[in-house]
Amino acid sequence: MTSLQTRLFGLIACSWGGVLLYFYHSTRVRKYLAPDFHHFILAGGIGILVLGIYSLINPKEKKDSHDHKDHDHDHDHDHEHEGNCDHHHGHDHEHEHAACNHPHEEGHGPLITALLTLVPLTIAMTYSKDTFSFTALSKKRVSIQSVAQNQSGPPFTREDLEKNVSRNELGEFQIRMITAFYAAGDREIQGIFEGLPVELEGRIAPEELSKKKGNRMLIFRKIITCCAADLQMVDVALEFPDGAVRPTPGDWAKAGGILTFETINGDVFPLLKVREVVEAEEPYSEFQLRQ
Amino acid sequence: MRLYAPVTQETQEQLSDGSMEFLSIFLEGLPFILLGTLVSGFLGTYLPRGTFEKILPKNPILAIFVSGLLGAIFPVCECAVVPVIRRLVKNGLPVSSALAYMLAAPIFNPVTAISTYKAFGDSIPVTFSRLAMGYMIAVIIALIVSRIAHELFLKPSMKADDHHHHHPRNINAALNNSLRDLMDVGLYFTIGVVLTALLKTTVIDPTSDFWQTLANNSIIGSAGMMVLAFVLSLCSTSDAFIAANFANFRYGPKLAFMVFGPMIDAKLVFLYSTVFRWKFILFLTIAIFILTGAFALLFETQILPMWMDQQSTLPLPS
Repeated sequence: MTSLQTRLFGLIACSWGGVLLYFYHSTRVRKYLAPDFHHFILAGGIGILVLGIYSLINPKEKKDSHDHKDHDHDHDHDHEHEGNCDHHHGHDHEHEHAACNHPHEEGHGPLITALLTLVPLTIAMTYSKDTFSFTALSKKRVSIQSVAQNQSGPPFTREDLEKNVSRNELGEFQIRMITAFYAAGDREIQGIFEGLPVELEGRIAPEELSKKKGNRMLIFRKIITCCAADLQMVDVALEFPDGAVRPTPGDWAKAGGILTFETINGDVFPLLKVREVVEAEEPYSEFQLRQ
Repeated sequence: MRLYAPVTQETQEQLSDGSMEFLSIFLEGLPFILLGTLVSGFLGTYLPRGTFEKILPKNPILAIFVSGLLGAIFPVCECAVVPVIRRLVKNGLPVSSALAYMLAAPIFNPVTAISTYKAFGDSIPVTFSRLAMGYMIAVIIALIVSRIAHELFLKPSMKADDHHHHHPRNINAALNNSLRDLMDVGLYFTIGVVLTALLKTTVIDPTSDFWQTLANNSIIGSAGMMVLAFVLSLCSTSDAFIAANFANFRYGPKLAFMVFGPMIDAKLVFLYSTVFRWKFILFLTIAIFILTGAFALLFETQILPMWMDQQSTLPLPS
């Protein structure tokens, strides 16, 4: 690589590193990655930035400071030199490759690299709303049948519920969305939750996403392992009493009511008969981790 | 007359969703690519030639078998492994051993094993099947490749440096190598992620009736699930949760999804193109496709039923 190429690559690296640090600093990273991965973004951003700045300052390879007489660095063959090597070709000689640009590195130049990486990155950063549309989310639903197939874990009893789950001031159990959803996959656990007063916290989705129509909306959480690309949605249908105030789709809310289960086309789904839905403060990360 | 089509709400949503998909994978993958390129840059600079010839068994076949297991000791994801392999091959690591490690490591490692175990309801048979399939396919392909002349599949720039050039061994050279690798791999990674985001946003809907109808037949189902894995380009540590979600599918197609995806997907083909010729990548895709499909059916029909039946007859612990 010539010094100019190295410097231009260094600039591209600075841009990539800058993007990572921007996402970390602006907290936009919360919308894309699981909390465990945030420090990778910080470390990666700093690392790429340091590499870029170093290349801007030191674009040329330095010669070794120690003596090379012990190394086998004879150059006993003919080859094409493109650079400014001022030595004879085709005989034994010694040289340093630092000043010599012969073609044993292949790759695209800095302009192509900048064009093909920074343009999509800029477009994505500009147009992303930092969340998936409801249409995209509906494609990421956890299948209720898979819940029944892959149930595992120790037995769960009413005593466990009383002992481990906190309640709000109205005595409603503040259970996790994922717990309510997965209860639909196990007849015994359904028995524990059926008719239970609960409070669920999550984001509100519109009626169009409900499996059944009529005075309904959804409350959902996003569960991920690493990033939003592996995101899945678990949801509980909300059935409102006549005349109840309905929240706005997209709001973060707490929904209180009675948890029950309904069968639609042979599959069991959780359903919350709503007492009240109130807007709530969004948590640092709305993702729930799978493990 | 209008010269441009109006931007509909749906197009705007797709652009935003595609951008979201792109940024998620890009942000997740880039730090690991940096890690891989730093390792590769320092290995390329400081690792004496022939080191791996000393470490690995002298017998090339045995060396392939051992290389396929290295993911258990040096677990790496599929994004980080490519830059490391580039440098190791240049430094004289036999290509067949490199290939065995590259294909097996994203599957045959403890992190993937744990996530598969949890995703399938603490299932040891499914976890074992996935790891065993990944290892066996990687080894078989490496054994085939070991009998082919390297010129036929390696990019010219990837040939092991047989010349006795003297390259400086200092931090400056190591960082320059890292930068060069980061730019090469980062470029192809970005192209692959753009393609993935486009396909995920516009073409593929895993919940559609089309995918669900594939579930009725394990052969077609396995093929379909491999295509899906190729497009979704998920990390090997998280794909088991997506596979487990396909409730209508039998174990064969699910295993095919979890083995094919970490070995080859839309972003990986571009990363592999920094090491291999495109014709070889096509061969690799077809070979992995056929082998994964065959093993998936074998495990579904022969091995898993035998194991699971045996488990169900075991007395429960008191």
